[in-house]
Amino acid sequence: MSTHHTPEHLHSHLEDTLTVGKWFQNIWDAIRTTYKGMMITFRYVWGVKPVTIEYPEVREVLPENSRSRLFNDVDNCISCMQCADACPVDCIYITAVRRDKEAPAIKTDDGTPLKLDLKQYTIDTALCCYCGLCTEACPTECLTHTTDFEYSQYTLSQMKYNYLAPDIRAWKHRIVK
Amino acid sequence: MEYFLDINKEQEQLKTNLMTMNMGPQHPATHGVLRVEIKTDSEVVAQAIPHLGYLHRCMEKHCEHLDFRGVIPFCDRMDYLAAMNMEWGYCLTVEKLLGTEVPVRAQYIRTIVAEMQRIASHLMFFGTYAIDLGAFTPFLYAFQDREFILRIFEELSGARLLYNYIWLGGVWNDINDDQLQRISNWIEEMEESMKKYHALVGENKIFIERTANVGVIDKEMAFDYGATGPVLRGSGVDWDLRKTRPYGMYEKFDFNTVVGKGEKGRVGDCWDRYYVRVFEIFESLKILRQCLEGIEAGPVIGKVSKIVKPAPAEIFLRTECPRGELGYHLITDGSKKPYRLKVKSSCFTHVSMLPDIGPGQLIADFVASIGSIDIVLGEVDR
Amino acid sequence: MHNEVASFLNSSVSGSQATAVIAELGDSTVFVDSSKILEVCKALRHSQWDFNVLQVITGCDYPDRIEVSYILASFTQNHELILKTKLPRTNPELESVVSIWKAANFQERECYDMFGVVFKNHPDLRRILCPDDWQGFPLRKDYVVQEKYLDMTVNPAHKINSGDFFFYKEIQQKMGDPKKVTFSWKGSGDDTETAEA
Repeated sequence: MSTHHTPEHLHSHLEDTLTVGKWFQNIWDAIRTTYKGMMITFRYVWGVKPVTIEYPEVREVLPENSRSRLFNDVDNCISCMQCADACPVDCIYITAVRRDKEAPAIKTDDGTPLKLDLKQYTIDTALCCYCGLCTEACPTECLTHTTDFEYSQYTLSQMKYNYLAPDIRAWKHRIVK
Repeated sequence: MEYFLDINKEQEQLKTNLMTMNMGPQHPATHGVLRVEIKTDSEVVAQAIPHLGYLHRCMEKHCEHLDFRGVIPFCDRMDYLAAMNMEWGYCLTVEKLLGTEVPVRAQYIRTIVAEMQRIASHLMFFGTYAIDLGAFTPFLYAFQDREFILRIFEELSGARLLYNYIWLGGVWNDINDDQLQRISNWIEEMEESMKKYHALVGENKIFIERTANVGVIDKEMAFDYGATGPVLRGSGVDWDLRKTRPYGMYEKFDFNTVVGKGEKGRVGDCWDRYYVRVFEIFESLKILRQCLEGIEAGPVIGKVSKIVKPAPAEIFLRTECPRGELGYHLITDGSKKPYRLKVKSSCFTHVSMLPDIGPGQLIADFVASIGSIDIVLGEVDR
Repeated sequence: MHNEVASFLNSSVSGSQATAVIAELGDSTVFVDSSKILEVCKALRHSQWDFNVLQVITGCDYPDRIEVSYILASFTQNHELILKTKLPRTNPELESVVSIWKAANFQERECYDMFGVVFKNHPDLRRILCPDDWQGFPLRKDYVVQEKYLDMTVNPAHKINSGDFFFYKEIQQKMGDPKKVTFSWKGSGDDTETAEA
C-alpha cells in the first residue's frame, strides 16, 4: 500500500509523455483558467462595499443578547449561589451572612424576600469563559451579560470586579440592558 | 525510509546528509501549534514525525470534575471552528442516556446551525488552503461569507465563536422569522458565490498542478488509519454518518454524499479532498433549504431536570462533523459528573497519517497535504 | 450481535473468555481476556464481521482495575463494537495491535500517556500529549499534580486566588457563629483540599 512513498511514483503524472499538443494545451489551460479567475476578482473592484469598519471611530452595535462583561445588580441578588454552582471555571466568589430575624425585611424588585446579606460578590472576569450558564441559573435575573466589551486592563487583578464596590454599582445606570 | 531503498547507485553518490527541520509549532501552514519534525533530503521529505500536545488543555480530566451542563463550554473549545457540531454530539450522547425528547423545532434549529457551522468550517478550509498554496484573495471572500454565519450565531447565542448554544434537551434561544428570512436570502447568494469561488480556485490550472496527485491517501490506507469525514470521502468511500447512521433528523432530508472521483488526478489526492469539502457546502445549502421549509412552531427546549444525573451506563456515539466523525465515549456512574468522557477526535487520527503521507514529497507538497486534511489543533490535543 | 460476537470469539480464539455484557441503557460491550487481545483483534478484523476501522483505544480507571476499550467499527457492514479488557492497576500490559490497524499507533500512545498501559511490541511507545518528562498518568483517578516541574513550582502561592477565601474566614470570625456564613469557594464548596491550600 505504500507505493506512493517513492518519488518516482509521486510524480507519475509528470512521466506521462509530454507531447507538443499537451504542452500547448497546458499553457492554454493556465491562461484560460487564470483569465477566468481574474475576471471573477475584477468584479470586486467596483461596486462592492467595504466589509470592515473603522474601529474605534465606528462601533458595531452588538446584538441584544451578546455575551460580554458580566454585571450583577447586587440589590436584587438573593445570594443563592446558583451562579457559582453552575460556573464551570469557578470564577464567582460569594460570601453571604444570614440576616438577623429582628432586622427590617428587605425585598428584591420582584418581591423575593432577602434572607442573606451579601458581603462579597466578586467575579474574576479574566477567568470567566463567557459561557452564560450563570446568567441562566440566576433566579432573580440580577446577573446579566451586558454588551459592554471594551474593558481591557493593564493587570490581571484589575479584571477582578467586586460588584459591591460603589463605583461598580454605579454601572447599573450605564450598561444594564 | 523506504524512499532510500529505491535510490539507485548513481543517486547514492549524490546523496547528502539528512537535514532535520522543525515545521511549527509556530508555522502558518500547520494551522495551529502542531510541530512536525521533518528530516529532509534536499527538497524532499524523508521522514515526518508529528509532535502533539502544544494545545493540550486536559479537557477530558476537566470534564470529570464538571457537571453535565458545564461540559458543553469545554466541548466548544475543542474544535473552535465547528463548535456547534461539537456541542451537538455531546448533547446527543447525554440525551440518549437520559432519554430526553427534543422538541421538533429545536431539532430543526440544531440542524440549521450545524449545517451553517459546517459551511463556515469548510469556508475556513477553503480560505486557508488557498493561502497555504499561495493565493490570498479567496481567503478574504471566504471570510466575508463566513461573517454572515457568525453574525447569525452571535444573534442566536450571544457569542461569535464559542457558542454554548445547543443545550441538553434543545437549544438556548429561539430563532425568529427575520433571521430565517435572512438565512434564506443568504442561501441563494451563497450558492452563486460558491460557484464563483470554485471557478476561481478549484478550476485554476496552477491550483490543480499543486494539488492533483499530491498527498494521495488511498482507500486501504484511509481505512487502516481510521480516517473519516472528507478525508475518507476524498479517498472514494461513500460513507457519511448522516446517511449511514442517521442522527437528529437527517433521515428526512434529501441530499447527496460527495465522494472524490479523482477528476484531476488520482482518487484520494489533495484536490479530491478540496472537491469534497467545497461540494459539501452545496449539499449543506440543500439541507438548509429543506430545513427552512419544514421548520414548525413550538418549544425549543425539552424537559430536563435541573440536576442532570444519568443512570450508570456506557455509551459511544458518533456524529459527522466538518472534519470527520466525532465520537463521545461517556461512562457514567450515577453521579452528577461524568465518570469518564473520552473524545474520539477525527483530527487526531488524521494527524497520525502524516508519517505515512510525508516521505517522498517535496516540502511544498507536504504543506499542501497538511492543509488538505484540515486539522484543528484544539481537537487534536483536546 | 454481542452474544454472537462473544460465541464466535470463544470458538475461534481459545482462551479468549469472551463474555457479552448486554446493557439496558447505553451500549453493550464484549469483555475478553487481556492476554489474547491480539488474537481477538485479528479474528475480528478478518472474519465475517469485518471490523476494518479501529476508532478508539481508551481506558477507564476504576479503584481495582483499568478497563481498556477498543471501539471497532465496520464501514463495510455498518456496525460497531466496544471490545473491553480488564487490567490490573499495577503494571498493566497489553499486546499492541498496530500490526492490524495502523490507527492503533497514536491511540495506544495516548492510552499509555494517560493511563500508563504499556503496549508490548509497539513501534514507538512515547508520551504523546504530555511532555516526555511528565510524571504520573493524568487520567488515573489517584493522579496527583506534581509539585515541581522543571524547577518551576506548580501552582505558586501568589497565583492562587486566596484573597477571597481569607475574606470569608475574616467574616466568619467577625460573625462569631460560623454557621451563619455561607461561601461559594470552588463552586459547590465540597473541594475542601483546595479551600485549605
